[in-house]
Amino acid sequence: MSVSVGAAGGGSSAGGGSSARGGSSAGGARLARVKEPALVIAIVIAGLWILFNLISFAFAEAPLATLGRAFDGTWGTSYGIGQVLFKATPLVFTGYAFHIAQRAGLFNIGAEGQLALASLCGGAFAAWLPAGTPAPVALVLVLGVGAAVGAAVAAPPAVMRARLGVHEVISGIMMNRVVDVLVPFTLATVIGASSLRTADVAKGAALPRLDVVFGSLAGSAASFAFPLAVVLVVGLHFWLMRSRVGREMAWVGVNPQACRAEGVPVGRRLVLAMLLSGAFAGLGMSATVLGYKGYFEIGLGSGAGFAGIAVALLGRGNPAGIVAAAIFFGTLEQAGLAINARVPKEAMTVLEAFAIVFVSAAGRFARAGDAGGQSAGEGQSGGEGQSGGDGQSGGEGQSGGDGQSAGDGQSAGDGQSGEGAAQEDGAGQPHSRQGDGALKAGHIPGDGESAKEGAS
Amino acid sequence: MAHAPRKSEGDAGKGRRGPTIELSRVTRRFGRTVAVDGASARFEPGEIHAVIGENGAGKSTLLKLAAGVLAPSSGEVKIAGELLVPAEPREAARRNVLMVHQHFMLVGAFTALENLMLGNEPAGAGGVLDEGRARREVEALAERTGLTVPLDAQVDALGVGDKQRLEILRVLHRGALAILLDEPTAVLTPQEAADLYATLRALAEEGRTIVVVTHRLDEVVRFADRVTVMRRGRTVMSRALDRAGGGASAEELTRAIMGQEPPPRFAPPEVAGDAAVALEVKGLEYTDAWGLRRLDGVSFDVRRGEIVGIAGVEGNGQRELVHAVAGLIPNAHGLVKVAGRQMPFKLGEADAVRMRRPVLRVVHEDRHVEGLLLDAPVSDNLVLGQLEGLAPGAERAAVARRIDSFGVVPRDPSRRAVELSGGNQQKVVVARALDGFLHEGAPPGSAVVLAQPTRGVDVGAAAVIHAAIGRAAAAGLGVLIVSADLAELRLVCHRLLVLHKGRIVAEVSPSAPEEKIGRAMLGLEAA
Amino acid sequence: MSGVLSLTMVAETLRISAPYVCAAVGGIWAERSGIIQIGLEGVLLTSAFASVAAAHATGSAAVGLATGVMAGALLSLGHALLVERAKVHAIVSGIALNLLAFAATRLALRGLYDSASNSPGIEGFRFGPVGAGGVALLGRVLADPVTIAAIAVTAATPWLFRRTRFGLRVRAAGENPDALGAVGLSVTKIRCLALLVSGAACGLGGVHLAFDQHRFESGMSNGRGFIALAAVVVSGWRAGWAAVACLAFGVLEALQIVLQDELRSSRAGDLVQLLPYVATLVVLGFAAGRSRAPRGLGGGIAG
Repeated sequence: MSVSVGAAGGGSSAGGGSSARGGSSAGGARLARVKEPALVIAIVIAGLWILFNLISFAFAEAPLATLGRAFDGTWGTSYGIGQVLFKATPLVFTGYAFHIAQRAGLFNIGAEGQLALASLCGGAFAAWLPAGTPAPVALVLVLGVGAAVGAAVAAPPAVMRARLGVHEVISGIMMNRVVDVLVPFTLATVIGASSLRTADVAKGAALPRLDVVFGSLAGSAASFAFPLAVVLVVGLHFWLMRSRVGREMAWVGVNPQACRAEGVPVGRRLVLAMLLSGAFAGLGMSATVLGYKGYFEIGLGSGAGFAGIAVALLGRGNPAGIVAAAIFFGTLEQAGLAINARVPKEAMTVLEAFAIVFVSAAGRFARAGDAGGQSAGEGQSGGEGQSGGDGQSGGEGQSGGDGQSAGDGQSAGDGQSGEGAAQEDGAGQPHSRQGDGALKAGHIPGDGESAKEGAS
Repeated sequence: MAHAPRKSEGDAGKGRRGPTIELSRVTRRFGRTVAVDGASARFEPGEIHAVIGENGAGKSTLLKLAAGVLAPSSGEVKIAGELLVPAEPREAARRNVLMVHQHFMLVGAFTALENLMLGNEPAGAGGVLDEGRARREVEALAERTGLTVPLDAQVDALGVGDKQRLEILRVLHRGALAILLDEPTAVLTPQEAADLYATLRALAEEGRTIVVVTHRLDEVVRFADRVTVMRRGRTVMSRALDRAGGGASAEELTRAIMGQEPPPRFAPPEVAGDAAVALEVKGLEYTDAWGLRRLDGVSFDVRRGEIVGIAGVEGNGQRELVHAVAGLIPNAHGLVKVAGRQMPFKLGEADAVRMRRPVLRVVHEDRHVEGLLLDAPVSDNLVLGQLEGLAPGAERAAVARRIDSFGVVPRDPSRRAVELSGGNQQKVVVARALDGFLHEGAPPGSAVVLAQPTRGVDVGAAAVIHAAIGRAAAAGLGVLIVSADLAELRLVCHRLLVLHKGRIVAEVSPSAPEEKIGRAMLGLEAA
Repeated sequence: MSGVLSLTMVAETLRISAPYVCAAVGGIWAERSGIIQIGLEGVLLTSAFASVAAAHATGSAAVGLATGVMAGALLSLGHALLVERAKVHAIVSGIALNLLAFAATRLALRGLYDSASNSPGIEGFRFGPVGAGGVALLGRVLADPVTIAAIAVTAATPWLFRRTRFGLRVRAAGENPDALGAVGLSVTKIRCLALLVSGAACGLGGVHLAFDQHRFESGMSNGRGFIALAAVVVSGWRAGWAAVACLAFGVLEALQIVLQDELRSSRAGDLVQLLPYVATLVVLGFAAGRSRAPRGLGGGIAG
């Protein structure tokens, strides 16, 4: 499943001796790496096109005419391009935010709430700033508040996950709902706004529109939040890939138990990943509050949190991919507005929903061939190893796992020693492993199941 | 939902003979890997037929082919002379051929009775379960076969012996005339194993076909009527055994299993007579969250340059011992001293492990669970947990050196660990633990602990790993090896300690007779 | 404050809780079979719309009920197929399902009724006594076929799980799918059937919601699916306890209605809405390590 870093489980192919076979399989894997994204995109676009036609017909419109209108409203004019970038900007933030957590094996479903509360608090803070605050200071402060509030909303799920093993999806959903209630309440009582919006932000905190520099975008709502988003994504990505902490977060996402055994502080890395994710989602307020409205109102930026999940899935964990996917979804949203007179804009949201499914399913499909080739594997060598008492018995590593599915190898391996993990850990994270495994594998292994039996 | 005609205990075939299962030149591939390669075998009723072979020889796959769990890529599987088509467990079950998997296929949250019913439920109108009828059937069956299991107990609460009996009871309840068992004794104590074979013997004498995959030669020699030996996916020998005497000896079978491969050679380096203690463990105790006493006052020393082995039946505290020494169990009590320094247990997250790292390195037992980042590149796996204070240049150099000196194949560090064979994966894990000490040196009195260092790896990789262990000892490190593989311990160690129920019950020389060590492992002999 | 202990209060609680209970029972059927279902919200919305559309077109509430239940079941089956066949992650599929339901119902609202916010009114079921008093209200609530069906489904669920062949198999699919496969049963097939039941139960909630309002409103499920999900987790995946949790939420909401005059003066009343979510977070924290989720539940949610 595409939530995973790669094909789930499975094992190696050839044994140590047969380097020739190993070599050719490496070639195949590399080729698959190139072919896969192209195939995914092809499947996704084909599926969406069919759906688009159906919806268009349903509203008695010729699909091509609808497409024409959609194109005119988006990439057909420079104004449209600006609007696409405007729509894409928050998605860059929420998409990459989801990716940060996903790298660590976490599912940040709470970007919606993180962004909403960050927008409110950031907007209110920016409005509170003295009018004369110089722009750099104001921007840094307001973005800091947005990031901090986003992180704060992510904190309860993060800590509950790391400390108690509570799955972050349920707690994330609950936090979204809490924010849903808190935002209007805070706006009405704490901030005391008469209408459902904050006051205008201080001049220095407002991000200028892009048309200041690119005149042809005139009239569009694209602001400097877009380049800001791209710069932040690239910078953060570089840090995540290079720094010790960043790499350890990704390792924790691959195998928390191995990390724990080797002295990587798993809980701290999980919490940090989730907080960073929340902070990054919170920074999305720059796109809506600072770069667009100049104030916060209820509903501003809603939907970007969930769409960010689709963006991250389509972008496949690569910064360029995520920006491109955000622009793709931005195009869909803007196109929805462009066709709204004839075909309701919700048509595009329907396409978004299907895009999410297609992306996930297609990723699986495109990998199936490759994964099948690799799946024979370690499952059994782990399995037989369990008992391995008969002298120096070796084997070619050609053991044939019961590779009926790509996941089997992994689950067999896991089952082996799950036993102790569950039992030893008085203070540990009894549930995290199962969650991780399953999330990564995308499917449900009977993980840790056969495990328990090992214990006598 | 498809409702297969259920098999009640009535037609579980008192008096009916089991079918002959015949595999002719079956091959089974997984991707590019050939697990079973043109193997042929014939399992007759009335016999206990053992299938043996080394790890990865294809014996489990062969069994799964016979049971319809896997379909052959080519070749034929016949049950009672008829082709097994379609090759599915359901079809095999219809012909009374059932398999007991190595990992129990039981629902832990269910009662034993619910597990027995699953898939073969007596039910009335509207699919309402007739639990009483199931209970009567099972009780009758249990009475006849002597396989008693507490029917109302939750399976999670049962011991492995009970679970094993439950599995067999279940296949009988489903009408098995042929029972194929994959490594049924792997998790049993020798006494439980003997009981199991007594049961299987009785079933065979009723005319059932019994096939057992095992790696324990002594069991084969003692209990089987016939043996088929597999090597590299092929069946290389099949012969009757005369249990009364004569027949095949364990040595003969070993030769058949190993083929022409020379037996491994290894000689642990000499230990200086006055070598100081490297690793000292004293009064180590640990009680788990369920109140089970996993470690009950374990004490021992490992001197510099000494290789000490921990022997024992699995599940007697080995895993907990390694974890406690490694600093992974905060609520363990007792003393662990390495290089003269006392090692803490209770510290912030992961800090106990990091404090130990300068003087203690550990290889955990299951490389897939606690060793590797399977989905990450080999380069990351080689430095996992060691990034602190490591410059990028030094990191690259360390990765290259570790790949070289342990002969990790393929040599490309960007390959994901999951793409490596088991042997090469294990080399990665061992290299990560040992290379720093071997290359940069370690403070005097440092130690390494290796759990199951060569489990499920090929002979070549095992030799590389044993050589590294030898080098570590020669460099003056104290080495502790925990292994379920007694032969490995006897080959590699200077001294063996036997762990039983969380206590060290005996200290024996590796050259002591196997029976003596075996008795100690059962807690029957103290030394 | 006398309103708090009145029959009106009881009636309101039952009326308000019904959709929650249905959705929670739906969630339990899905998750006990091993499939995470965060798309209850979408199922509620879809079946609410389908029931209104069918009732409006045919003028028959019964047809509306059947259509709503069927729509819920089919959508839920789609979720199962995506997860089991296409190997889409259940959470991803659930998110898509919610998004789709929200957008598609609005799309259909515009397509069929040319309105962005609500459908034309429908009659729904009208049984029971007429009148404004508490007794009449309670009578109407208890005579409502949808409510009766909801109560029946909730009561039957634990029995079905424990006493029937199908229930046993569903539980096995959720606890250890490998074990189910090993005895020759298809995990996929059983999960798909369980999700049909799940969708039908949840769909009943959607129908209740729509018939209660006598029309469909855009986004009318309004987070009920998520609260139901919380109830599922808090209950430890047990229908009876989940129903109790839902009734508790229902009491809170009913209180807001009955006491609205007292509460209107202070904005703090709004914070009452936080209770279910905060309670869920707290319970999750305390239940960690104790309440146990079905072991085969992908993602190992909480508990």
